[in-house]
Amino acid sequence: MDSNTVRIILLIIHYLFFIYAFSVVVSYILLAIISAIESFHYMKKNSFVNYNEILSSNISPSISIIAPAYNESLNIVENVRSLLSNHYVNYDVIVVNDGSKDDSLEKLIEAYDLVKIDYLINPQIKTQPLRNGIFKSTNPAFEKLIVIDKENGGKADALNFGLNISNNQYVVCIDVDCLLLEDSLQKMIKPFLEVTDSKVIASGGVIRIANSCTIKEGKLLDVNLPKKFIEISQILEYLRSFLLGRMAWSRLNGLLVISGAFGMFEKKSAIAVGGYDTSTVGEDMEIIVRMRRHMEEQKVNYKVAYIPDPLCWTEAPDNYKILISQRNRWTRGTIEVLKKHRKIGFNPKYNLLGMLSYPYWFFYERLAPIIEVVGIIYFIILITLKNVRWDYAFAFFILAYLFSVFFTIVAILSEELTYHQYKKKKTGFKLIVATFLEPFILHPAILYAAIKGNIDYYFNKKLKWGEMKRKGLSN
Amino acid sequence: MIDFQHLLTYLEQLPLLVKVVWILIGFLIIFIILLIFYLKYLRGYLRKKETISKKLFTEYEANLINFLYSQTEEEINEEQQIIVDKMKTCITNKFKRKIFISVMSKLKNDISGEMADSINNLYIKTNLINHSITKLKSNKWYVITAGIKELNLFEITNVFEQVKKHENHPKQEVRNEVQLYFVSLFHFKGLDFLNTLKSPISEWNQIQLLEILQKFDDQEISDITPWLKSSNESVVLFSLKLAKIYNQFQIIDTLLELLNHQSKIIRLKTIEVLNYFQVNEAKKILKNNFKNSSEDEQIAFFQMLENTVEITDEEFIVHNTKHVNFQVRVLALKILKRLNNKKLLDLKNKATNDEDKLIFNYLENN
Amino acid sequence: MNNLKKVVLAEDNSTLSLLLKFRLEKEGYELLIAEDGKEAIELIETHEPQLILTDIMMPFISGLEVISHVRNKLKVQTPIIVFSAAGQEEMVLKAFNLGANDFMGKPFSPNELVIRVKRLLA
Repeated sequence: MDSNTVRIILLIIHYLFFIYAFSVVVSYILLAIISAIESFHYMKKNSFVNYNEILSSNISPSISIIAPAYNESLNIVENVRSLLSNHYVNYDVIVVNDGSKDDSLEKLIEAYDLVKIDYLINPQIKTQPLRNGIFKSTNPAFEKLIVIDKENGGKADALNFGLNISNNQYVVCIDVDCLLLEDSLQKMIKPFLEVTDSKVIASGGVIRIANSCTIKEGKLLDVNLPKKFIEISQILEYLRSFLLGRMAWSRLNGLLVISGAFGMFEKKSAIAVGGYDTSTVGEDMEIIVRMRRHMEEQKVNYKVAYIPDPLCWTEAPDNYKILISQRNRWTRGTIEVLKKHRKIGFNPKYNLLGMLSYPYWFFYERLAPIIEVVGIIYFIILITLKNVRWDYAFAFFILAYLFSVFFTIVAILSEELTYHQYKKKKTGFKLIVATFLEPFILHPAILYAAIKGNIDYYFNKKLKWGEMKRKGLSN
Repeated sequence: MIDFQHLLTYLEQLPLLVKVVWILIGFLIIFIILLIFYLKYLRGYLRKKETISKKLFTEYEANLINFLYSQTEEEINEEQQIIVDKMKTCITNKFKRKIFISVMSKLKNDISGEMADSINNLYIKTNLINHSITKLKSNKWYVITAGIKELNLFEITNVFEQVKKHENHPKQEVRNEVQLYFVSLFHFKGLDFLNTLKSPISEWNQIQLLEILQKFDDQEISDITPWLKSSNESVVLFSLKLAKIYNQFQIIDTLLELLNHQSKIIRLKTIEVLNYFQVNEAKKILKNNFKNSSEDEQIAFFQMLENTVEITDEEFIVHNTKHVNFQVRVLALKILKRLNNKKLLDLKNKATNDEDKLIFNYLENN
Repeated sequence: MNNLKKVVLAEDNSTLSLLLKFRLEKEGYELLIAEDGKEAIELIETHEPQLILTDIMMPFISGLEVISHVRNKLKVQTPIIVFSAAGQEEMVLKAFNLGANDFMGKPFSPNELVIRVKRLLA
């Protein structure tokens, strides 16, 4: 190769990287603008809704909360109490004890006066069998509670069991350690009931980070900003993703993910597609993609709704080890889902889903970490070849850094203008400091986890669920 | 000075792209600084606003309760007039007005009787009513909605015509609010809007309307037959709910006609209402339609048979114990158990698949 | 003033609580206010009131659990009046099954409540 060809190849590579970075920036700006429009609309629409009228009604549709639990003995009694204290009338709580090896079941039986009952299960979705059986409370104050004790089959399998058991029209799938606010069900059900020109198949909620918040008896009393940097930066990350990203995608009706920790489905639609996929670690994303795909194929006019209110609070990892294993799992989930449904990608038959949502996820979520690493390697090569104009590179680095800071500050602002959860003095300052540090401290860890996820996906297929050690929400 | 000069020459010789990058960096730095200051201001403002609104809320709460307890035989007495005058000046401020309305509505939602009337009186006397009426003329849909909501809450019936103007507003939220106003203040008479309604009523609003209707002591409902025959499907669905809640036995013939409606959801809901009324005549029609109806309707029909089964239905039921749908099969067997237990045991002995065996075992114990 | 009859009021609408407190104190009762079911149970245990007024829908512990606690755990027959929003017939039935004595559907008239309180404490 003569030096001329090398120069041309280098130039092409430069431009590819440049185009990629440029398109990322543009897409972020567009999403932020769209989300601002949607947030304004949402706040205006719902600021004066009287949710009391719907919650008290027994004409309102029935909902089941399905909460899978695996070795949650530490907090299970309290967590279930929080699920039972919702203000909606027509709902029940199905706790699926997924083959726990601890004394979760005994604790529940003791706390809620449970007795075993005879229950005919409609086996619409194939699942692992029951272990000790199905239990209900003898105390009428807890009559909303159903506890299932089954053989271990993973989260997706447990959720599927819940789908089989539920007699209700809608199901909310959540993690048992999530804390739901009392008005969460009526807020989540609203989009299903208010849309008249299309069919709402699912609605997704926001996950907020409960670390350091004051929680008593399953109720959120006071919102605090956690102390550790790793927790604060996850808060920033969640604000960006939920208030800017998903808000905009919901406006476009292109949502591809509903948090596994808090999402509502029309039960029939979920069962019609066969429930959750037990073979992936990304079951929460997978079911939405599959339901959307099904709707597109049936040519039904449908919608996936999104509720930005802070209704669901959960504990986030507070050390790098657990954070990395969580993100590793998310990465593998994304790869599996996109691969399984690659048919819809860039396929005009799937409209927005195929032409916008899928490509976006593919390029900016799936490929982003890989492109970043390739970029770093390429940069190192250039350094060794002494082919770097340091002053140019420096300018680009600063620009990228400032843009990420700018985008995070916009996310913080939109939080202040909408929900303003972190009210205490000084927290604003801490958030800003974290904003400036996050790209150097949290980002490398997340990049590492994503790369490890890719490696594990391709070379270490047997990998199991990353287990999250809970400290417990209560103090 | 020399440094600055140096920098300028450096910048000038840069390629265009890198120049642009530096310009953008400049802009971003300015934006970020501005946003940080704005954020600081905003947080302070929100915090202050919250403290003040808490304080005002408590203050107005006390005023309101004082006002209610000073109520005597007179329409409005001296002590009350002082409170009215005070509030009148307060509410010229938009922020204070909002808080005062929220205090009043918090109480108004939960109480009725003379005290509720006093609150309405206060709303009029303090001139809040005029603010609400002005809102009706706004161009913004959410302002109109808020106006109607207030007029509804404080039971202002004489603005009916002004509210009615928004009956066909392009925004669903406004239409909903108008309908709630009609029904809250004019009860069943308020439902007349159903006669001409072209737009769909959302399920959410249907539930709200029914909730409101159930609060009234007077439960005299007018004839719902025309609504059941409406070409607006949501009106039909809404009337089916009315039929069930208000036990409209006299409309059974119309209901039977609806069993052949083109909309699946209407047929389904009709079966549910007929089940509730335990109408035997429906069975013949439903049996005839059975093969061609959806699974939901078939399940609903079997739920109906659970309540209305007669010995003559046995053949139909036995036939459907092999139905593909699990729920239909369970219901069929359950009904058969009551009707002819011997036959059930017969089927049990012949059962081959595991799923059916589970059902039989379950039925034996339950 | 120890001979005042004590009433525990559990209600999460603070304005309504305040209103009822004034109204019932005027009738010569001593009012103890709880904002949720948990507080209500604590007040009931420490003060042993002559009457309990409780909303069904409350944060922490519902009115139903309060009734259940009073009747089954404390095993006392203190009269209980429950408040409920319209359309909660099932809840009201459950409340009666658990041992409530009377109920008032919201919105209700404070004057009517006074009459019922007087009747139960006569």
